[in-house]
Amino acid sequence: MVDFLNLIRNENMKMFRAPRLFVMLGIVLALVIAISSVWFTVDKGQTAMWEVIITETMFLYWIVTIFAVIVASGTVAEEFSTGTIKLLLIRPWNRSKILLSKYISSLLFALFFAIVFLASLLLVNWIFFDLLGNGESVERLSQFTSMSNSEYMFKYYGLLFLNTVMTVTISFMLSTVFRSSVLAIAMALFIEIVVNNLMQLLAFVKYKWIDYVLFVHLDLTKFVGGNVASDGKTLGFSLSVLGVYYVIFIALTWIIFNKRDVAS
Amino acid sequence: MGKPIVQLQGVTKRIGSRTIIDNLTLDVPSGEVFGFLGPNGAGKTTTIRMMVGLMSITSGDILIDGHSISKQFEKSIRHVGAIVENPEMYKYMSGYQNLIHFARMIPGITSHRVKEVVALVGLESRIHDKVKTYSLGMRQRLGVAQAILHKPKLLILDEPTNGLDPAGIRELRDYLRNMARQEGVAVFVSSHLLSEMELMCDRVAIIQNGKLIDVRSIQGSDNSAKSLRILFEVEWPESALEVLAASGLTGISEGAGVIAIEGDKELAAQVNESFVRSGIKVYGIRADIKSLEEQFLEMTGGEGIG
Repeated sequence: MVDFLNLIRNENMKMFRAPRLFVMLGIVLALVIAISSVWFTVDKGQTAMWEVIITETMFLYWIVTIFAVIVASGTVAEEFSTGTIKLLLIRPWNRSKILLSKYISSLLFALFFAIVFLASLLLVNWIFFDLLGNGESVERLSQFTSMSNSEYMFKYYGLLFLNTVMTVTISFMLSTVFRSSVLAIAMALFIEIVVNNLMQLLAFVKYKWIDYVLFVHLDLTKFVGGNVASDGKTLGFSLSVLGVYYVIFIALTWIIFNKRDVAS
Repeated sequence: MGKPIVQLQGVTKRIGSRTIIDNLTLDVPSGEVFGFLGPNGAGKTTTIRMMVGLMSITSGDILIDGHSISKQFEKSIRHVGAIVENPEMYKYMSGYQNLIHFARMIPGITSHRVKEVVALVGLESRIHDKVKTYSLGMRQRLGVAQAILHKPKLLILDEPTNGLDPAGIRELRDYLRNMARQEGVAVFVSSHLLSEMELMCDRVAIIQNGKLIDVRSIQGSDNSAKSLRILFEVEWPESALEVLAASGLTGISEGAGVIAIEGDKELAAQVNESFVRSGIKVYGIRADIKSLEEQFLEMTGGEGIG
């Protein structure tokens, strides 16, 4: 077990040594500061801090998913493109364990980035709209529940992160199967931009099979107010459909990685 | 020679309907440097990939220290250190971080051992620099370092002299021979530099089109008693042939003042004496031993050597 943690340490080392990490952190921090400062100058600090945070989350969270996908798809594909996969696979670890260490550290990276994103949102907007501003506090973020603001945020982020996990898993599969991160990143962009914004429209199409399409269930934030969304679907049903897809994706990824002849 | 460390037993690899490796059987004992020769596309790299479990084996099996690479992968690969093709490393990390990365993957490698290996390959001064600043020769050394970290019983090197300068090749050669002699490591080397293999290996296997053509020892000086083709370079070949005929020997004129006779070392001395006594100047005497390259070209029908 300790030995397996070493594999994860290795993967983390490779992710965090790569120079792109600082670019990613810089972009996230710069975007948050830019939007908050513009907002602050326009309304002179009248808006409540929580309102700014939830709005910026809606506009910017997809960047967290995209960066997590870039890192996750690179973790397998880059080992193939540089040839280091050969050195990695000739150690006394079977391929399933190597792949698992990569998958776990990909999810850890996504979690790390989501936390960094939330922390910078909280910090920057606390400074702008609480310390410097004079916005009245919003009693309730959610109009239909009695949740506290932090509880609401916590649940909202949890649901967003489930979407990230699913997207990272799909990209991880694509990059393992095709040994290229381009397709994986394109797929993630498609999910983030098209699916998460337009799929609600698909829900109005009255075919039974629509209910089982993966994309319909990827955006879970509609359940933030309760376990039944406005379109009548339940959180349990969405999670079950996602769960089935998840198991299929993971199985495919592992089977193909184990069977593949490494010839590059 | 010790017990076999690696055993290839009827190894066959088919991709689609194409047979890439056909029923390959060979053993490499501990303490031996074993060369693996063949023209481009003969299946050298494919064989090596199967030996380290990067490719599946269609039929047959490969045993390393008695464990099957396909069925007991983790047990058998533990004894293997390898560089497959180029020594690729994580270029954005330092050489030391690269070694730490691989050391973590095998239990029991101390930081002391890492330092020892760094010293062994002579990279102390640059080990904390990023790998992208290394020359090809330094990357090759780092590649060797990662391969021997865990003191493997079998060291597999695919084209190890690629990109090394003559001094580097010589150093690697001495190092590999030392590993084999002193630590009893079996060294499995593929290369296209035939003359290099001749200097480095105890035995070589030659494969072509995925089939094993020949396995032979590289002879040292143990052929002194054998009959050789001896070449004399003399002043007047015609009179030299007459001198030979007078003592009942047949010489063949090879042109350019060279005559060939069949015989052993003793005969060479006697013939030389009779030439000198007859007033024929002898400029040179040498045994006509076919180089590995000539033998190789003969066997593979002169196809290009990669």
